[in-house]
Amino acid sequence: MDEWKPNPTVKPHKKRSWYLAWKYKLMNQRALRKLCQTGAVLFLLVTVIVNIKLILDTRRAAYEEEEESAQDYDDEMLNVEAPRHPVNNKKVLDVEVYSSRSKVYVAVDGTTVLEDEAREQGRGIHVIVLNQATGHVMAKRVFDTYSPHEDEAMVLFLNMVARGRILIFTIKDEGSFHLKETAKNVLKSLGSQVAPFLSWRDMWTFVGKKGGEVYGEKHAKSPALSTWGDPVLLKTEVHLTSVEDAECHWPDTELNRRRRRFCSKVEGYGSVCSCKDPTPIEFNPDPLKDNKVFDVPVAVIAGNRPNYLYRMLRSLLSAQGVNPQMITVFIDGYYEEPMDVVELFGLSGIQHTPISIKNARVSQHYKASLTATFNLFPDAKFAVVLEEDLDISVDFFSFLSQSIHLLEEDESLYCISAWNDQGYEHTAEDPSLLYRVETMPGLGWVLRKSLYKDELEPKWPTPEKLWDWDMWMRMPEQRKGRECIIPDISRSYHFGIVGLNMNGYFHEAYFKKHKFNTVPNVQLKNVESLRKDNYETEIHRLLGEAEVLDHSKNPCEDSFVPDTEGKVYVMFIRMEQEADFTTWTQLAKCFHIWDLDVRGNHKGLWRLFRKKNHFLVVGVPASPYSYKKPSSVTPIYMEPPAKEEGAVAVPAVAAAEQT
Amino acid sequence: MQKINRNVVLALLSLTSLIFLLFQLCYYKFYLSQKNGTAFSKVRGSQSDQDSTRWHVVRKFLGLTSGHNIPVYLIDPLILGLVDKDIEQIKNSPDGPNPECKYFCTPRDFTTFALLDKTWKHEVGLFRTAEKMGFQWLKIINKDPRLDGMDDLSGMEIPLHYIFKLASHAIHLVVFYERSGNFLWHGPLRLKQHMDRKFVPFRKLHFGRYPGAYEKPELLLVSIDDLKVQIPKNPSSFLEEMSHSRFLECRYREARAFFQLYPDDASLDAMEFRKKAKSLLHLAALTLNNLGVKFWLSSGTCLGWYRQCNVIPHSKDVDLGIFIRDYKADIIPAFQNAGLPLKHKFGKVEDSLELSFQGEGDVKLDIFFFYDEDDHIWNGGTQVKSGKKFKYLFPKFTLCWTEFVELKVHVPCETLQYVEANYGPEWKVPVKTWDWKSSPFNVQDNGVWPIDEWDNVIQIY
Repeated sequence: MDEWKPNPTVKPHKKRSWYLAWKYKLMNQRALRKLCQTGAVLFLLVTVIVNIKLILDTRRAAYEEEEESAQDYDDEMLNVEAPRHPVNNKKVLDVEVYSSRSKVYVAVDGTTVLEDEAREQGRGIHVIVLNQATGHVMAKRVFDTYSPHEDEAMVLFLNMVARGRILIFTIKDEGSFHLKETAKNVLKSLGSQVAPFLSWRDMWTFVGKKGGEVYGEKHAKSPALSTWGDPVLLKTEVHLTSVEDAECHWPDTELNRRRRRFCSKVEGYGSVCSCKDPTPIEFNPDPLKDNKVFDVPVAVIAGNRPNYLYRMLRSLLSAQGVNPQMITVFIDGYYEEPMDVVELFGLSGIQHTPISIKNARVSQHYKASLTATFNLFPDAKFAVVLEEDLDISVDFFSFLSQSIHLLEEDESLYCISAWNDQGYEHTAEDPSLLYRVETMPGLGWVLRKSLYKDELEPKWPTPEKLWDWDMWMRMPEQRKGRECIIPDISRSYHFGIVGLNMNGYFHEAYFKKHKFNTVPNVQLKNVESLRKDNYETEIHRLLGEAEVLDHSKNPCEDSFVPDTEGKVYVMFIRMEQEADFTTWTQLAKCFHIWDLDVRGNHKGLWRLFRKKNHFLVVGVPASPYSYKKPSSVTPIYMEPPAKEEGAVAVPAVAAAEQT
Repeated sequence: MQKINRNVVLALLSLTSLIFLLFQLCYYKFYLSQKNGTAFSKVRGSQSDQDSTRWHVVRKFLGLTSGHNIPVYLIDPLILGLVDKDIEQIKNSPDGPNPECKYFCTPRDFTTFALLDKTWKHEVGLFRTAEKMGFQWLKIINKDPRLDGMDDLSGMEIPLHYIFKLASHAIHLVVFYERSGNFLWHGPLRLKQHMDRKFVPFRKLHFGRYPGAYEKPELLLVSIDDLKVQIPKNPSSFLEEMSHSRFLECRYREARAFFQLYPDDASLDAMEFRKKAKSLLHLAALTLNNLGVKFWLSSGTCLGWYRQCNVIPHSKDVDLGIFIRDYKADIIPAFQNAGLPLKHKFGKVEDSLELSFQGEGDVKLDIFFFYDEDDHIWNGGTQVKSGKKFKYLFPKFTLCWTEFVELKVHVPCETLQYVEANYGPEWKVPVKTWDWKSSPFNVQDNGVWPIDEWDNVIQIY
């Protein structure tokens, strides 16, 4: 170290130091690399951990959400009653069917689903429809095929039943007299061997699947005209199918869920339950502009005629301006099927424990329904009252919307009704024309709340008084000289042919030919002229322009009214005092309009159409309009016919229209 | 070579993981925003998680209802109380951005909303959407009281309350129904057997302990905490109303039993009297409500309500009670303006005040003023010919709403004690001859008016 020789060692030193430096550098780099490597590894680890945490978090959140909705489902299940199992989960049903002169019964798995041994009742072919998957009874009908036309109803019904349903037939007493070829062929097509040869007083039972196999058939021939065939008892087994096979595969919507619930319970409603292209249960008719009756509650009064109710609600929900939320169906009695129909359409229904009997029961049902309506809609000033056997015109609400202000403002009005008692095909002409009448027609009408609450409700006939509510409402104590507004062409159509005061003959004679408006958006003519004083002006104007008919002719003859169009004619009949309707009743009879009691009059004046001419009938001298009678004209007088003819086979005159 | 490879691999891996991390972060943020909304992400830091959860749940619920066109309005007493303090500011800045979550983040278990039944169609779709959004829900249904008063009608049960629960917060939706008498009613919340009692802490609910009666509120659309929501136009008066909104249903079943025992008088006279009594009561209620004087059905009218849910046809007058502290000098002129002349005035404001007005057709309106003592309440009576004073004692009571002859009126909540005090334990038996001086169960002699005061305390018109 004392003598430093730089030169020779420089290089190596240098070399070495470079090497060292390099090595150091290299080592440094290695450390750096190590550092980098460790860093990278650490970073990777952190990433992995963070990633795992994130994944876990997301998972948990998602899972929680899932769990919540799963719990929800549980919750909902708790609210639902225990699901109904198909009968014993069994795949086979034992069916017993009995047919005899005085008794029929059907038992499914030991449970009697039909038993009828009442005398003088239930004659004809009883039909029961079972659900092929559950064995539940979906429909029960009896067709009195001893009487005419009932076989047509049966064919109609059988055609409506969905394929695959189980049909059970049994005859009580007699079922072949008016069983026509068409009906027999339908039965044959269902697989019956005997049906084509069914004859007088034969006993017959049959069980088969619509469009499928036959499970059994028994028949006992009547040996002679005066005797019945021996009772027959058919015992057979029916194989159930799975629920999936029994149901249609409609898209899963709210509407279809209602439809499915309905269709798995009841039968006989035709295309609403057809798998392919079922008829809609929501109608969405055009809304009405400036609808004044949108917030008016609609009370539908119903009994146990679910098929009628179905038809009625369809037409009601198709009417323009309808507001389904305001509709309540009041069912008289705890019947399931009408309630099913109500639920099918998503409406609200209320059941009413029957009080009293017959007409008084209907009357109590009306009272409860009206009171409930005004309780449920405390804001309402009016209520629309409908019955289950009415078709509702497409412009029903438009008609009311245009006229309801009159009921609000004119104290002399009692109601607005959609029904013209005298509005038949041959006596009504003008959809835009309204009348004032002293009678209360009902059949789709508007009731003022104040009238009900202040006058009618407190003194409504009590159950022990077996009164008709409508007859009671027509009494002078209630009506107090007030009038109703009606259209010339009715906005409702009464289609019911079974009911308390109703039968086929009666319907055919008085209701079938009733005119019914089908034109939408009819603009009513001169609504203001319906006010009390304006109406008198209007009548005087009409009488002024009216042509007096030739009173020497017979008014019942066609030639009484000239073959013109659009003219106004007037005739005068004898009417000694206000309540003398002798001539009018005879005239109504020969005009083929309502003659069972007096309807449609206004101060001794009737307005209708004859051969497309406006036709006025004035009762002289009782009517204030008698002054129009030229002195040369003698009012027409018509005698009531002799007693025997008068006693037509019509039920109580009170029959009127309600059911 | 190997070393380089390792480096490259490491670098690549790091890069990938970085990208992956970024991606994850983005995803997480996206997920959060989807779940809870972003509007408060800025504020999140300053609020605890709990607070923002409440806000988020309310926001989701409002989204749910507006999506189904269901017009709910806020009736939560806690929030309305806070809102009421700043009401002017809130009204004036309908859309202004709010710096912080001031109302909906307040600590609480529930947020209460109201819904008018007639403004929506009961639809299943709402609940399906709610489920999809993560809500658990509970529906409380019960009999429809509007049909309860009617014999033998059975309608569908109606929904009274809904509870929507999400995470730690729940929305209580109270369904209001319109009743005859032009008011809104909500039902009591009663759990049925199978229901989950621990679904939410039911005891802490603000509504549902009793049924309630409310006026139809005017609503106001406001924006609070960045949420658009309807509230009652005047929150403080709503809160005031809420504090004594308890509603009593008439005892329809007992009334039916009563009529089984004592059939109703269906005569024309009875009907006429009921009609007049009803219109007199309507007129009296209108007059007193306009003056802002609180009153209740008293004596025979109260008994009629309690026993038979109707006016007693042989009672011949209408009786109301008013606390003397609510007395206003305007009462007499107001009734006179309404067409009800003063018939007599007994006593004075300090003692035993009683007013009688002549209604249409011989029906009298009697107004008794009630005096509050420490342990009882009393009203007074005066005999005209002798100047004798009487005192009728009642146990203390509070006031509840009820519906009577299509009117929302007060009755004592403790009706039974009130009626029993007045009519004794035999109040269920109709009595046709009634002497106001001796028949009441709770009558006491109270001395005689000094003769020099007679002109003042016995006024007959």
